[in-house]
This record gives sequence, structure tokens and C-alpha cells, in this order.
Amino acid sequence: MSRADQHGRTARLAAAGVAALALTAGLATPLNPAPQRAAAADGKKTLTVAVAQSVDSLSPFLATRLVSTSINRLMYEYLTDYDPGDAHPVPGLATRWSPSADKLTWTYTIRSDATWSDGRKVTAEDAAWTFTKMMTDEKAATANGSFVANFREVTAPSPTRLVIRLKKPQATMTALDVPIVPKHVWEKVGDFSKFNNDKSFPVVGDGPFVLTAYKPDSYVRLKANQRFWRGAPKFDELVFRYYKDQDAAVAALRKGEVSFVAGSPSLTPAQAASLKGAKHIRVNDAPGRRFYALAVNPGARAKDGQKFGDGDPSLLDVRVRHALFLAVDRKTIIDKVFQGHAVEGQGYIPPRFSTYFWKPSPDQKLAYDPAKAARLLDEAGYRKNAEGRRVGKDGKPLTYRVLCHATDPNDKAVGQYLKEWWGKLGIGVNLDCLDNVTDPWLAGRYDLAFDGWSVNPDPDFVLSIHTCAALPDTPKDTAATDNFICDKAYDRLYARQLAEYDPAKRADIVQRMESRLYDLGYMNVMAYPNAVEAYRTDQIASIETMPKDAGNIYGQDGYWSWWSAVPADSDPSSGGPGSAGVIAGIAGGVVVLTAVGAFLALRRRATADDRE
Amino acid sequence: MTTGVTPPADARGADARGADVQGADARGADAQGADARGADARGADARGADAQNAAAQDASAQDAAAHAGPRRPAWQRRRRAAARFWRQYRTHRAGLAGLAALVLCALLALTAPLAVGSDVAGVTDAPGQPLAPPSGRFWLGTDRYGRDLLGLVVWGSRVSLLVGLLAAVLSVAIGAAVGITAGHFRGAYATVMMRVTDWFLVMPTLVLAVALTAVLPRSLGTVILAIGVTTWPTTARLVRAQTLAVEARPYIERARALGGGHAHVMTRHVLPNVMPLVLAQTTLMVSSSILTEATLAFLGLGDPTVVSWGGLLQDAREAGAVSAGDWWYLVPPGLAIAGVALAFTLCGRAVETVLNPRLGVAR
Repeated sequence: MSRADQHGRTARLAAAGVAALALTAGLATPLNPAPQRAAAADGKKTLTVAVAQSVDSLSPFLATRLVSTSINRLMYEYLTDYDPGDAHPVPGLATRWSPSADKLTWTYTIRSDATWSDGRKVTAEDAAWTFTKMMTDEKAATANGSFVANFREVTAPSPTRLVIRLKKPQATMTALDVPIVPKHVWEKVGDFSKFNNDKSFPVVGDGPFVLTAYKPDSYVRLKANQRFWRGAPKFDELVFRYYKDQDAAVAALRKGEVSFVAGSPSLTPAQAASLKGAKHIRVNDAPGRRFYALAVNPGARAKDGQKFGDGDPSLLDVRVRHALFLAVDRKTIIDKVFQGHAVEGQGYIPPRFSTYFWKPSPDQKLAYDPAKAARLLDEAGYRKNAEGRRVGKDGKPLTYRVLCHATDPNDKAVGQYLKEWWGKLGIGVNLDCLDNVTDPWLAGRYDLAFDGWSVNPDPDFVLSIHTCAALPDTPKDTAATDNFICDKAYDRLYARQLAEYDPAKRADIVQRMESRLYDLGYMNVMAYPNAVEAYRTDQIASIETMPKDAGNIYGQDGYWSWWSAVPADSDPSSGGPGSAGVIAGIAGGVVVLTAVGAFLALRRRATADDRE
Repeated sequence: MTTGVTPPADARGADARGADVQGADARGADAQGADARGADARGADARGADAQNAAAQDASAQDAAAHAGPRRPAWQRRRRAAARFWRQYRTHRAGLAGLAALVLCALLALTAPLAVGSDVAGVTDAPGQPLAPPSGRFWLGTDRYGRDLLGLVVWGSRVSLLVGLLAAVLSVAIGAAVGITAGHFRGAYATVMMRVTDWFLVMPTLVLAVALTAVLPRSLGTVILAIGVTTWPTTARLVRAQTLAVEARPYIERARALGGGHAHVMTRHVLPNVMPLVLAQTTLMVSSSILTEATLAFLGLGDPTVVSWGGLLQDAREAGAVSAGDWWYLVPPGLAIAGVALAFTLCGRAVETVLNPRLGVAR
């Protein structure tokens, strides 16, 4: 699965489970003195980041969520990294790499100046062992198995030489997002599906930071790796602290308790607007690497041909799918829901990845046009009845269940708009907001769903989740597929781009895939949300964004932000004024409640002193 | 009492019994009179009909005692009882204030379709900019979609009041049914029912309601059900105690001797006598139901496409209005919830005081 976190499903399982808990946790944490900024006490410079997403696992073989893969990035070096400027592959653990003439053998030169945090040297043997483990042990292939599925053999002829032999050419060989782990530590691990790498600290690694402590949904603490080959980070300590309530995180930022807030998935427009005027706080509003889409259930099925789930059969008609999307006014969504903190959706891959970005030609584009949508529905045979509802051939009115994440305010907001837009078309909408959308999703029990993925500089992964090969083996299995799309034409293009080593030709094939996906109408991208995040300038003097101009900080394709962050000299003890209005409001509320309580108590006593 | 009554219920039973000092005999006499004329059916009918106007029951009993002679036409008696109830209720200033607030709220909710119209909840034609502060055009500012908050608060009252009332009625209905049957049948049935009641009583209501709404599909019905089935045990306990007290009276025994079955005794004799209690309990339950509905909606467990006060608060929280200091998004729905809950509580207390002779004496 790799770094692409799914902003839907698994990623969203976040313990939000019972919102009440989240709420109380959010209110409680600011009072919890656990990992204080230790700046004053022992001169240590600590960078504290407020996060909300729960860690699924700290084992790089299991972790798929954005927070976990980001932490793994900090703990373990990869073979190659992405340049923070334009995301081209730059040396990581490997200093040089080259394919053979037949494109089937890749040779990497492993650097000799990298050491594990326990003092041992990092060798090609560690990399070979990591890849071989994923190829041979299915339990170790959970997270990143897709990268090695095409590997024939991985060997380490010398400590600085790594040789990978492929079954078929593979274009992603310079974008292998696989953390390389120390063989001498990990070969002792028994069951890879159960080992979460969170028991014995510090955890041996070779990245810019070393994991020193972890408490689920409380904090993750890392210390700077002084031996890091690229140079030690400027901060001594990096702490990810949990705030399940985003408003609580923002309040903590205002008070200086945390240095950085990323939001999940980003700060709301109101929060960003209020933070923009605050002293010592900088809001970073950058084009994101996510897309935000409306996925259609194409009739869930397994590789064995068995159909399951209960997606509405009317959605199998491409005219219906196009009609639904024609009635979605993307501009209003950007203006009203995201309030400008997003870009209107076009193709599958966000414009930030300009090589692969594609947009539909004017006559292909499904621009907002409710009249055309109504025409298409009429053509498809779904005409309005006396009550103005569209009915199918069976005489039943069209009503779609839209699966939404209860934890994402944007889903609910867009859902409201869909309900009204489609209502005008004569189609009913049942907004089905759940904390856990995974179960109905995997079982295919939905008609439409809100969907979103973070896209990597190499788009292979987000493209692969729509191939027939990603379908589950049987209805009971879980698989990499996103929403059960299986299209022969798309699959052929996918195989071709994977085998294409020429970047320009590959980009062309990828764009044709996006065009195909757009025409199919099963994945309708509505927006590319910005990454809206904020940090304290009196704690962080400078921090690198990716891409360098107008880039994001949290959830980068690399460790650049936290590695490059420079502590500010100023004394951070003077916290911000907090939002006086809110405090006054809360105080007022307490006074009112107390008064009401006292009044009731007095009345009670007045009316009866022996009421049961 | 073989059913192992717990102390609070017993105390309540004793209370109720004590309270009946003035009323019970009179009622006995009333029933006797009816029986004597061989018009048990008619008398019982009158009583059954009385159930509809049960608020007047206790008062009417005393009334009947004063005029122990031949029965007057039922409607006349009822009217007098209602007048008497109102005279006593009027003396409670807080109760009057609560009632006035309630009438105002009910009027607002009922006239909302004319005053603001359902368009106020529409997001596609929202008139303003998102999160605009109060102004001449939008007295309470706008929400995250640019809708008029004043209109939304008025429109939201419909859902909050509806859910509050229905949930309270459901809860009290379950409680009354369990309480009366448990008090009437005693024995193994009562033991089992009371243990079930105890179980629900010790379960934290909110947690149970959250679990229920999380499992069932999100809709108003689910919220009503979740509140109804989690808040009934208190009512069941109260009603059972009162039932025990009523069933100890001689006229019940007489009714049985004359061949009155279980259903007859429970519906014609016990129910009318516990009705005042049930009514007061319902009024009080409404305010807690409104609060629970707001809580559930605030926790994101309501139907997100329905406008309610709790839902507005949840929207405000999700939009980040708290840290942004957009007070106009938070304060009006919050005050509305507090106000209506308070009004119902004041009314409930006043009704309880009027209907319970013993409580009334204390004033």
C-alpha cells in the first residue's frame, strides 16, 4: 500500500469510534502535562506536532496510515528519496542505480557512510533481507507487497552492491517506497503480522530520528539521530502529540503548547482565517497531494467472478453516472465548503504532479449542467413520475445511499449539497455517515461514497487500485481495490505504463488512463483540497516545504520538513493570549449553568424537601 | 411485598400511600357509590374517559368527596377539576413563566413554515457568505453554508421539540407499562421485570444511546428510539410504587370480587390513578430528552441533513467556530436548548406539586 494513505476507509478508522471519547480526550489533553516542551529544563529543543490520526502500526511492514508511514520515514532510510524541489528521485541509501540493457536487472550502489543507531554499519545485505522477507513471507507483504510482486530475486553480492532481478520491466524501481530495516534486529521477529515494533525502545533505525517512546493515542516521541548521514536534525526531539479534537489542537497552538498543527485532514477555513491574524503564527496554505472524489459502486465482485454487495443496478448505466456528476457544481463546493482552500477537480492526479496531471478536453468534460443531466436520465429511461421522482423500469423511485465519513465535516457538507442538487433532478439521497465505513465499503453495500487518496510523486500505487488484479480473490477477502473497478482497457494501459522506462512516454500513458477513468464515470474527482496547516514562528524559525515553493509540511514524500526545521531562539514561554472571546463564552456558560442549577435546587427544596 | 422492593421505591410507595390520606377514602366512596348503583361499568367508563383528562384526577377525587351525593355529569365534574387545577397551578409563578415560554416556543415551531419556510435549511440557495457575523440582514449571523442562523434556530426548534416530546412519550409509555404490570402481577414476572429495570437503571444512559444510534441507521426515528428505550426505568420504578399503593385500596379488592379481570383493574382503576404521576413525569422527561437529543446530535450521531439545535452545535464545532471565536454560531442554539429544557422543568415541577396533594400541602 505504501505511503498513499487512504483518506477514506482504513485511515479513517481513527478511534473517533465514539465521538464522546474524542471530545473528552480533546478537552483533557491540554491539561495533561505529559510531554512538555523541555526547552527550559535541560536546554533540549523540542518540536511538538499536534496530530489526530491514530497509529495503526509502527512496523513498516504493516503501517499504511499517513501518520505511521510518516514516522517510518523518519526512522528508516529508503533506497531513494524524492527531491524536495521537484520530487525527482535523489540518492537515499543508494547513491547510484542503473538498469541492465534488458531492463530486468537493477543494480544499486549502497552508501558506506550510513550506520544504524546501535553503531552497526548499514549494508546491502539489510536491503536484500528486507525485500526478500516481503517476497517470501506473506505476512510481511501487507503494507508494501505491491512493490515486490514483480521481483524475481534480490541479492547483495557485496556490502555496497544490491542487485534486484525482475520478472517484467517495472518503472517504479527508483520510487521504491520501502523502509529498509536492520537485518540483525528484525530477523529475530517471529510473526510479522503481529509485531508492531513498539515494545523495546529506542528502536534501532538509520533515519534522521530515532523512536524513543510511544503511547497509543497519547504521544510518539523521537530523538534526533546524531549519526544521520545527511547531517543531524536541528531539533533535539520531535514529539507527535494527540489532540482528537481539532479545536483543542488549535487552542494548544495559540498557547504555544504545540509548535505545529496539521489538522485532519486540514484546518477548517474558519480556523485558518482566525489563525492568520494571530501573533507568532504562520498559516501554510499549499496545494495538497490529495484528491477528493465521489466513487460509484460498479457492482462489487471478486476475481472468481462472484458478485456481491447491493449497489444500485441503475448505476451500471454510464449515462446515469454521467448525469449524477453533471449535476455536481464543483465550483460551489470549492467556494462554499472549502472556501477557496482547494482546487476544482479535473483528472485523477492532482495538478501538483504536473508530469502526470491531466484534464479533460472541453467536449469530454462533464461540466456542471443540470439540464443535460436531466436529458441523459430521460434517455436512459429514468423519467420523472407525477411526484417529480425519477423512476426506473421497475417503477421504483431512484434513491442512492451515499457513504460518508462521520469524522469528516467536508463529507457531510458536500453530502447536503448533493442531496439538494440530485433532489432537483428527481433522485433521492440517503446520506449514510458512519464512523467506520470500512465494513459496508468492503462488502459493496453502498451506491456512492466519498473517497480520497494521497498521491505519491510516482502514481503507480493510486493507479493500481483500480485494476482487475486488485480485486479480492473471493468476496470474503480484503484486497487493494478501491471501489471494485475492473476495466480491460484501463488494465492494458496500466501494464504498459508499468513497463515503460521512458518518463515522457510513461506520463502519456498515465494521462490516457486518467482519461479512461474519467469517461467510465466510476471515480469522479470533485476537488484537490489544499493542505492547510499552521506553526509557531517563535518556536520554528524555518521549515522546508515540499515542493519548495507553495508546498506542504505535514505528510511530505520524505523527511525534509522535520529534518530541516530550525528552532527559533526566542523564549517561547510567553504563550499567546488564547481566544479571549471563547474563554469568556465558556465562563459565561458556566455561570448560567450554575445559576440554573442553583435555581432548580432551591425550587426543589422549596417545593418538597422529601422528594425521592 | 414479595418482590424485594428496593428502598427508594418503597419510600415512594409509602409517600404515595401517605399522600392518599385525603383522597383514598373519598375515591373509595366514589367507587362504592358507583358499585352500589350497579353502574360499575358506567362509573369505570367515566374514570377511563377521565384518563384523557387525567391531570384533574386527584383534584377530582377530592372534588367528588365534597359532593359525595349522586354523580354529576362527567363533563361538568371534569371542567370543575380542570379549573381547580388551573387555580392551583396559577399560584406557581415559576410554573407560569415556564408555561409562557413553552407556549411561545410551540407557536414559533408551529408557525415556522410560514415565518421562515423550509428553504432556510437549503444549502444550495444560501443567501449569505459563510460564517458572517451578526448584521442588519442576518440578526444572528450565518452558518458555515451561509444560511441565516436566526431562521435555522427557529426551524431547528421543530426537530428538537418533536424529538423531545416523542422520546419522552415513548419513554414514559414503556415505563408506565412495565411499572403497572410489575406492580399488578407481582411474583416472578415482577421480579424479572424489575431486574431488567435495574439493569437499564445502572447502565449509563448516554453510552447506551450512543451505542444504539451507532448501530442503527441515522434518522430521527433512531434518535427517538434510542432516547425512549434508555430512559424509561425511573418512570417504571415510580409507577410501580404508585401501583402497589393503589392496589392496596379496598375498592380494588371489591372490583376483583365483582369479577374485574387483570386488564379491567389495570386500565380502569390503576391507570387513572397513576396518570397524574405519569403526566408530571412526561413533562419532566421532555426536557431531559431534548438535552439528550442535542447531545447525540452534537456527538455527530444524528441525521446530518436535518437541522436541529444539537446539530447546529455539532456543525459549529466541526467548522472550527469554537477556536475561531465565532460565538454567534454557538450561543443561540445553546441558549435555545437551555431555555426550553428549563421551561419544561419548571412546568413539570409545578404540575407535580399541584397534582401531588402532599407536595401541595407544603406550600
